[in-house]
Amino acid sequence: MIELKNIYKKFGDQWVLNDLSVTLEKGKCNVIIGSSGSGKTVLMKTIVGLTPIDNGEIWYENKNFTLLGEQEKQELRKQMGMLFQGAALFDSLTVEENVMFPLNMFTNDSYKSKRKRVDFCLERVGLSRKNTLLPAELSGGMRKRAAIARAIALEPRYLFCDEPNSGLDPKTAIRIDNLISDITKEYNITTLVNSHDMNSVLEIGDKVIYIYNGCKCWEGTKEDVLHTDNEALNNFVFATTMAQQIKNFRG
Amino acid sequence: MSKTLSSIGNYLLLLKKVFSRPEKLSIYYRQTIREMEIHGLGSIGIISIISLFVGAAITIQTNFNIENPWLPRYIVGVTVRDSLLLEFSSTMVGLVIAGKSGSSIASEIGMMRVTEQIDALEVMGINSAAFLILPKLVAMVIFLPVLCALSVAVGLIGGYLVCLTGNNIPVADYIYGIQYVFYPYYLSYAMVKAAFYGFIITTIAGYFGYHVEGGAVQVGRSSTRAVVMSSIFILFANLVLTNIILH
Repeated sequence: MIELKNIYKKFGDQWVLNDLSVTLEKGKCNVIIGSSGSGKTVLMKTIVGLTPIDNGEIWYENKNFTLLGEQEKQELRKQMGMLFQGAALFDSLTVEENVMFPLNMFTNDSYKSKRKRVDFCLERVGLSRKNTLLPAELSGGMRKRAAIARAIALEPRYLFCDEPNSGLDPKTAIRIDNLISDITKEYNITTLVNSHDMNSVLEIGDKVIYIYNGCKCWEGTKEDVLHTDNEALNNFVFATTMAQQIKNFRG
Repeated sequence: MSKTLSSIGNYLLLLKKVFSRPEKLSIYYRQTIREMEIHGLGSIGIISIISLFVGAAITIQTNFNIENPWLPRYIVGVTVRDSLLLEFSSTMVGLVIAGKSGSSIASEIGMMRVTEQIDALEVMGINSAAFLILPKLVAMVIFLPVLCALSVAVGLIGGYLVCLTGNNIPVADYIYGIQYVFYPYYLSYAMVKAAFYGFIITTIAGYFGYHVEGGAVQVGRSSTRAVVMSSIFILFANLVLTNIILH
């Protein structure tokens, strides 16, 4: 479980996160939704410590992440896996080397055992026999799946996915969503997904948090999203004419 | 002024991160060997070509400038050797590597920054500054003196070829000259300077790459700034080190 208490973050004169408090539950896909520029990515980066916060507390179970020293933060980060918007695979390494990278850095396992783990992770994300390909030789969806394989290589307790299906076709996007959801349940980890894709939210959002102008505006389950009275969320969810028509028809 | 102070502060903070304890020595060792191959062995060709021509040109110019019947002919060899050892080779190697490897390091790290690969390293719990810069730094500090020594040797060969192909300087006098009253201390001086240049190039290029913000255009700009700043600091360090070591 990750608990955020009264998080504030300011860039220049603008508050990007404003008194934001959220609890991210274990074994669930916690999805943060919001329009572009609402502060989703900044929030995720503050949670993993890439962007320092101005005020507030971030708790990983019983550890106050904001008070930890650099060394302790690094230790805790070994329990995190993160999927970036652009996958962030290391260009010069093959798929296998990318997935093996955290194993090489943090374990003393034999090559055989590391290779076994890599093959398992790649098979898990549906990339068997793609070991020798370079990231440049992969499609967008394959790159994201390889990044997920790298993120789960060390069996993390926390998984962070920033816009996991941006730039992907709907079918591949659903495949990535399901993969994240399955992994969350399988390993009973705390997963946080940033998204503005409503298909994705309705597919995997065990807990949905809507952020508007850096503040938490709404919180609920994926079933609640469609029946809420919250005007800002309704404007976001039913932004297209088609979605509005469907809502009116159902209403 | 405040921007300059802030840059110096950030540079020093980056150095502190670079010199913190590596996560796994064996990985860093392998990376260092790889960097030596890329920036050291990969630069032998260009350093050899430039040094050959510079050595040849210095020989012709020295001979042209000291055509005096009162001076022994072997003085050309002595002058070429000492010029290469004391100034030309180390500074030339520094400036060439600043252009070749400095821009490569800045753009490689810069691209990793803008494509979030550095963030990925940080989230994994890896000290990205040390992981990316330390192996390059060690490789350059070790290999630049080697390149400097190579440059001196190839420069002398360039001078020898001039003597061999032209009729102005007798080969025997040139060979005698390059061996005449040789101070090994000069070679140590050149290699120490080259090691310092390796440090300057890697840390400045690493700094500019590591702090890139934006996209491809900013990466290109940071790479150019890295080469310009490294070159200026190399020339400044040349002055300071010469003053300190030779006095």
